[in-house]
Amino acid sequence: MKMEDVSLSSMDNSKMEGFAQEILSDLVEDACLGLCFEVHRAVKQGYFFLDDTDQESMKDFEIVDQPGVDIFGQVYNQWKNKECVCPNCSRSIAASRFAPHLEKCLGMGRNSSRIANRRIASGNNTNKSESDQEDNDDVNDNDWSYGAEKKAKKRKSDKVFLHSLKQPVHLNPNSPRRSKSMKHKNGRLNRRDEPEKISTSKKAESQNTPLITTGQW
Amino acid sequence: MSKESQMRAAINQKLIEMGERERLKELLRAKLIECGWRDQLKALCKEVIKEKGIENVTVEDLVAGVTPKGRALVPDSVKKELLQRIRAFLAQHST
Repeated sequence: MKMEDVSLSSMDNSKMEGFAQEILSDLVEDACLGLCFEVHRAVKQGYFFLDDTDQESMKDFEIVDQPGVDIFGQVYNQWKNKECVCPNCSRSIAASRFAPHLEKCLGMGRNSSRIANRRIASGNNTNKSESDQEDNDDVNDNDWSYGAEKKAKKRKSDKVFLHSLKQPVHLNPNSPRRSKSMKHKNGRLNRRDEPEKISTSKKAESQNTPLITTGQW
Repeated sequence: MSKESQMRAAINQKLIEMGERERLKELLRAKLIECGWRDQLKALCKEVIKEKGIENVTVEDLVAGVTPKGRALVPDSVKKELLQRIRAFLAQHST
């Protein structure tokens, strides 16, 4: 140990520079060797070329930079006009309306018992007096619930809109939209006291005619 | 054993004992990754591998094909910094 100390201390500047260079090249060579081992292992394990891609596939996944579209080149608010098909009544409904529709259609939530009653009634080919009573209930509901008039207006416009846009090919008699507008129409008719028309509308219901057409007159 | 080689052995032992060699290695590694040297060498390795074939390539092939260029590709700034550190170490331990 002592001898080494002596030998180190007796080193002059040029020698020191030479040693420094040697150490540096040693280190660089070490780094090279380390990299070579790493690459060799990667090659033999088969993961060295994993991140290699050819130009064509890179083109496919290029980032699109244009106004109005996202980075995949798609219009970014496309989801707004997406439609979902209801599993119960197999009608397509705008995605934003789907949850409330499903709640009514499956008969869950606040109004479930009423709609379930209605479904049972229509399933039994409707005892007339019973369903009339039901409809009267609904009318009463509308009368004293908050903002009922607003709702009624909205429904009317909704119906017109629906009719002008599309006429569903097949309507499930159990679907809530039908029963809802039925309720509304009956409410109007009842106020006018036109019993014959009610009975005709009941006939229409039993024939499974789409409500929208019956609601026209 | 000549005096020269004796000194070299002494210095290397000191470097390892003090842990300075490891520190220098780590510093060099970081610097080389930073300046893109590693990626350059990897590209060279790819050429060698394509030439020899994935199945047949050996570590020796890689070392032979890559080391000379690798030495030359080390940037001067990195070399300078490392030399500074080594000189400081030598000066500290030769007094």
